[in-house]
Amino acid sequence: MMPARRSTTILANLVTWGLVLLISFPLIWMVVTSVRPQTELFQIPPTVIPRAITFEHYIKLIEETPFLRYFMNSMILATSTTIVVIVVGTLGAYSLVRFSYRGRETLAALVLFTYLLPSVVLIIPLYLMMVKLGLANTLTSLVIAYTTFALPYALWLLRSFMAGVPEDLESAALVDGASRIGAFVDVILPQALPGIISTALFTFILAWNEYLYALVMVNSDQARPLTTGVMNMLITSFNIEWSLLMAASVMMSIPLIIIFAFLQSYLTRGFGAGGVKG
Amino acid sequence: MVTVTFDKVRKAFGEAVAIPSLDLAITSGEFVSLLGPSGCGKTTTLRMLAGLEQPTAGEIMIGERTVNNLAPSERDIAMVFQSYALYPHMSVRENIAYPLKKRGVPKADRPAMVQAAADLLQLGPLLDRKPRQLSGGQQQRVALGRALVREPKVFLLDEPLSNLDAKLRAHMRAELIELHRRLGKTMVYVTHDQLEAMTMSTRIAVMQGGELQQFATPAEIYHRPANTFVAGFIGTPSMTLADGEITMDQGRPVLKLGTLPLELPANHLSERPEGTRRVTVAVRPEDILIGTGSFRANVRLVEPTGHESIVLVNAGDVGFTVRVAGDTVLKAGETIPLDLRRERIHVFDRESGRRLNADLAAATADPVRSRA
Repeated sequence: MMPARRSTTILANLVTWGLVLLISFPLIWMVVTSVRPQTELFQIPPTVIPRAITFEHYIKLIEETPFLRYFMNSMILATSTTIVVIVVGTLGAYSLVRFSYRGRETLAALVLFTYLLPSVVLIIPLYLMMVKLGLANTLTSLVIAYTTFALPYALWLLRSFMAGVPEDLESAALVDGASRIGAFVDVILPQALPGIISTALFTFILAWNEYLYALVMVNSDQARPLTTGVMNMLITSFNIEWSLLMAASVMMSIPLIIIFAFLQSYLTRGFGAGGVKG
Repeated sequence: MVTVTFDKVRKAFGEAVAIPSLDLAITSGEFVSLLGPSGCGKTTTLRMLAGLEQPTAGEIMIGERTVNNLAPSERDIAMVFQSYALYPHMSVRENIAYPLKKRGVPKADRPAMVQAAADLLQLGPLLDRKPRQLSGGQQQRVALGRALVREPKVFLLDEPLSNLDAKLRAHMRAELIELHRRLGKTMVYVTHDQLEAMTMSTRIAVMQGGELQQFATPAEIYHRPANTFVAGFIGTPSMTLADGEITMDQGRPVLKLGTLPLELPANHLSERPEGTRRVTVAVRPEDILIGTGSFRANVRLVEPTGHESIVLVNAGDVGFTVRVAGDTVLKAGETIPLDLRRERIHVFDRESGRRLNADLAAATADPVRSRA
């Protein structure tokens, strides 16, 4: 019995690690390439471990290209989108959970309905609207665009978190002398905070990684985020700057890696809440 | 002095009418229980008083003030919830201080007030804990502390003891009575547990189907139930309820209960029945005597509980529930003599359920003074 079980465990481990290696290989290759000297890049046979390590690509990226501007743009874009989505989403979810009014359920369903439309379909109308509003080619236009697809999702996620806060808590706060807003801030928000944090993380990641809208709606270097900025700068019809591209990719990933490392438990909680109750 | 008045209060949730029309006048300093089965409208009544629900029509007054349009925070009430509703992210101290903070009590005055409430409820050592680190009974006391820290005009309690185990419940009952006596505040208490209502209240409002069935002292409700619902609802074990007919025989009412003929005292009923009157009869288990009398009863079941036994017997086609002393020796299947205390037989109109005994109008003593 025992040896059989042990061999199963070993086999399972082998398969798991094999998968992990398979999936992480591109990431490892990305990091390795980014610190490899240009001369070693196209060597045949290729080396897995670089013979020399250099940070010249990183320095070049920061000093000679608009990388930092793109990075800032992405930061501003993802942060603003997250703030807008969380503020509107939290209040909206609270309303959907707590108040009863005509068409409440229909509204909630309609919000989800927006998911049925592929985002590609919405890009052109959105772009035309932005042009009309005089917002074309600005970060603001992207914040609005990202909000259109991040908000419905956030609303549903937050709704399930809000529904988990007992109504009695809020009633108690009202009786204890709080106004409705006061009760919301003092009691509901702290209780829903884990949900709000995980929703904020999802939104941030969504906005950080977005490519399609950014590609179509913004074509000036002033407002380009990292995703399109880096592609535009390093990939041309004649040449791909592999080393720089990999260095940029590593730096793009760093914020997300930090987020995952520190707030992983909130993210998994968000998956759970969305899956079970949403 | 703080009275609470419901004047023709109606509450409907959409099409569903929870409370058709409620009139209730609570005297200052009273401990009133709203008692009834679940769904009888008692919690809705309390929530309307708290301002958590809006009445559809009618007027609710606290003292001289109509509170219909006041927010809960403006009504100067405190409420204890069945779930306790302690704020999980705040310590016991912060929980109790929260109403003070929200009502603008100066920061410097708060610690002493929190301490006083904590002392009253023996919460001193728990002040820095979080609610989830407390037992059910402790959470209950924190909820009470949060309610009484700022001395509100009226206390509202929504089934506060129902989540406690039996022993703790008995203990907290005694504490609540003590607390009411000490504070002398008007308290409105919602419960479905008649033992709680009977032991703690100065008056009980029995509700059913959103309507007030009877509003009287516990003794009055027990001894003179106003209708068949109250008769059947109050008392453990319940009264024996049976259909009967009353006719007049030489100026005395005669009750025919099943096949049992029972001559009632001449002044037993408030009105003389014309011909034969169809009635519902209710008899308390302790008003049935075993081992004496001319009726024959067949023992069906004996349930000993220690100091007393509950016996189910059949007599004249009627099944009676009888309370006897615990040392009474009875066996199922036995035939025994049985009698009813005629003057204690409750008679109700079978159609309306209204009490027909002549004693209903008996004056009620001042409910508040009776406690002190």
